[in-house]
Amino acid sequence: MKNIFMRIAAAGLAAAAALTMLTACTAGSEEEERTTFSVGFDAEFPPYGYQDENGEYVGFDLSLAEEVCKRRGWELKKQPIDWNSKDMELKTGAIDCIWNGFTINGRENDYTWSTPYVDNSQVAIVRKDSGITELSDLSGKTVAVQTDSSALAAFEGDDATDENRALAESFKELQQVGDYNSAFLNLQSGAVDAVCMDIGVANYEIAARGDEFIMLDERISSEEYGVGFLRGNTELRDEVQETLIEMLDDGTFASIAEEWGLSDSVCLSADDTVTDTAKKEDVSFGKKLANISGRLVKGVGASLAIFLLTLIFSLPLGLLVAFGRMSKFKPLSALVKLYISIVRGTPLMLQLLVVFFGPNFLFGINTSASYRFYAVIIGFTLNYAAYFAEIYRSGIQAVPKGQYEACQILGYSKSQQFFRIVFPQMIKNIIPAIANEVITLVKDTSLAFAISYTEMFTLAKQVAASEATIMPLFIAGVFYYVFNFIVAFIMERIEKKLSYFR
Amino acid sequence: MELLEVKNLRKSFGDLQVLKDISMNVGEGQVVSILGPSGSGKSTLLRCISMLETADGGSIVYCGKTGFTEKDGTAVYADKAELKEIKSYFSLVFQNFNLFPHYSVIKNITDAPIHVMKRSKDEVMKEAEVLLKKMGLADKGNYYPYQLSGGQQQRVAIARALAMKPKMLFFDEPTSALDPELTAEILKVLKELAAEKMTMLIVTHEIDFARSVSDHVVFMDGGVIVEQGKPQDVIDNPSNDRTRAFLKKLEQ
Ligand SMILES: Nc1ncnc2c1ncn2[C@@H]1O[C@H](COP(=O)(O)OP(=O)(O)OP(=O)(O)O)[C@@H](O)[C@H]1O
Ligand SMILES: [Mg+2]
Repeated sequence: MKNIFMRIAAAGLAAAAALTMLTACTAGSEEEERTTFSVGFDAEFPPYGYQDENGEYVGFDLSLAEEVCKRRGWELKKQPIDWNSKDMELKTGAIDCIWNGFTINGRENDYTWSTPYVDNSQVAIVRKDSGITELSDLSGKTVAVQTDSSALAAFEGDDATDENRALAESFKELQQVGDYNSAFLNLQSGAVDAVCMDIGVANYEIAARGDEFIMLDERISSEEYGVGFLRGNTELRDEVQETLIEMLDDGTFASIAEEWGLSDSVCLSADDTVTDTAKKEDVSFGKKLANISGRLVKGVGASLAIFLLTLIFSLPLGLLVAFGRMSKFKPLSALVKLYISIVRGTPLMLQLLVVFFGPNFLFGINTSASYRFYAVIIGFTLNYAAYFAEIYRSGIQAVPKGQYEACQILGYSKSQQFFRIVFPQMIKNIIPAIANEVITLVKDTSLAFAISYTEMFTLAKQVAASEATIMPLFIAGVFYYVFNFIVAFIMERIEKKLSYFR
Repeated sequence: MELLEVKNLRKSFGDLQVLKDISMNVGEGQVVSILGPSGSGKSTLLRCISMLETADGGSIVYCGKTGFTEKDGTAVYADKAELKEIKSYFSLVFQNFNLFPHYSVIKNITDAPIHVMKRSKDEVMKEAEVLLKKMGLADKGNYYPYQLSGGQQQRVAIARALAMKPKMLFFDEPTSALDPELTAEILKVLKELAAEKMTMLIVTHEIDFARSVSDHVVFMDGGVIVEQGKPQDVIDNPSNDRTRAFLKKLEQ
């Protein structure tokens, strides 16, 4: 039986791999007559690329790309991407370039670049009332940066200066967040003390979010933006570069920059020449696997913690909820019913966001950094307790009425009746349903990423992004599969143990 | 001495009046059988007496203690402590046994004496062994209910009831769920109990059994007692047409 499952799983993986290769090939062969130009960008990165109030993707970079396409006779495809997957998108040919306030510094060898067109610096934003005035004040504080962003690279990247490394060391924590919106929510709520980002973005965010925040004068680093193409794709890069210079010469570039309020940061120059320093260095497969696995181990602990704590709290809580649901006291049972229906009717991810950000939005409470983990556990527990409650309820209702009457005749108290007679029969009734939920929970732990809690899957995506390989995701997949295999095995044992009666 | 005195008992489910003015007694050491067509209210009567249903009116006295009496048109029950005492006077054996599936035979029998009556485990275990032997199940103590035949399960249920040392035992069609051979097993056990002067109130369709074992027979129809008396009178010489019709139907 299990062997068959393993074989099916292996066949599935092989099919997926074959499909990936196939798409990669098709993408590669269409180089001849270019008709479309698809630009990958992070849709949450104003003013370079974002969604405006009409739902249109706009931004400085997209305007530039549009103009290039117009002049080249290409059809522009704006492709919003998950920033963590940008390399995969580029490699598979799903996008032709990354044009999105994309920092060259530190990535010189990873892509084929246009010449820099924006000079940007990394700065720190703090709450106005925080009393932080220079970078050294950030010592002992919690600082947020976007995953795989230039700010993160400035602190921890291979080319980070010793000064910045020491500064990052002095932080209480350097936290990675998925997008700037949650970074600012964290900053506002007090969960983090500073957010570091590109100056262009910083100016925009401060203008958009009012005067609650200020930017430190001191710069963390200076950096430049370019258009990134797949390493070796100089042909396309040269075409785009040529058109950009054309636009610079006739003033279109400057007017687009002005339109987006970026006149101060643009730096495109006809004198710069493109260079290609990109060269591949090979690391052995085994070494890479060991390195990646080592980096994922931390996430395993986090995922296990979410899993175990959620079970420890939600299994008993679910029983209380089930009692409330079955209570003869109507207001209580109606309230519990409402809670269950809300939990079951909305996504867990949304519930996690509400638990984490709710206290600040609703009551103005400044949440501490450690609340992030509590929020994960609270969110998961509240969610799973509702599901378990309904399972308990069905299990209790499946116990025949005659059992209760026998208890009554024999003089059992209500609690004896429940714990001695009903409970064991209920457990047997619900084991298959509980097993289903527990297996879902294993997979659901990955949803903790919604509030930037770094568990296994988040870490796998981060490592996948930094290593530009899908391997960490496969390792993560294997982890979840093995984890669930063990869970299924344990549940099977419990079921067997309870088969002594019918 | 009367162990059970039912007077003017009434019970309705919604608009349907199931018991209309039932009065009957069970004397110490007596076996009383209740006969009657389906839907006549026999089970409801037994369930009111066993306090699984709440009566609407009338009164029942158990071993001299009043379970409930009628006040201002409703049944008023005794207080909690008194009801607990009264409930220890009787036990009920169900048509479909209602054994606890997750307990072994011996645990089914001993669980309530140990945890409800708080008696010593050793003593209860010894008594349970004796009861099992008496029921012809000496070797089945560690079996689970699903491993037993219906007749064996019903004998366990009777042993479970006896282990509580009740002053009287109620049975609601204890053989209706069983095949004829298994029915004979149970009737044999009941006869033995009758010979030991166990006070019993039995709802049954087994006319021959009722005739040979009962001291008193109650015939019910449509929620009233149509006639009651010695089995020779009620079963062999019924004075009421409805009783006659019922008995005739059974014979066919
Ligand atoms: N809980 C209940 N709710 C509503 N009606 C009920 C309930 N229990 C019994 N009745 C009705 O009361 C009437 C008498 O039922 P009862 O079970 O007492 O009959 P019975 O004499 O035991 O019949 P049988 O020989 O089939 O067991 C029936 O019409 C039945 O439908
Ligand atoms: Mg009945």
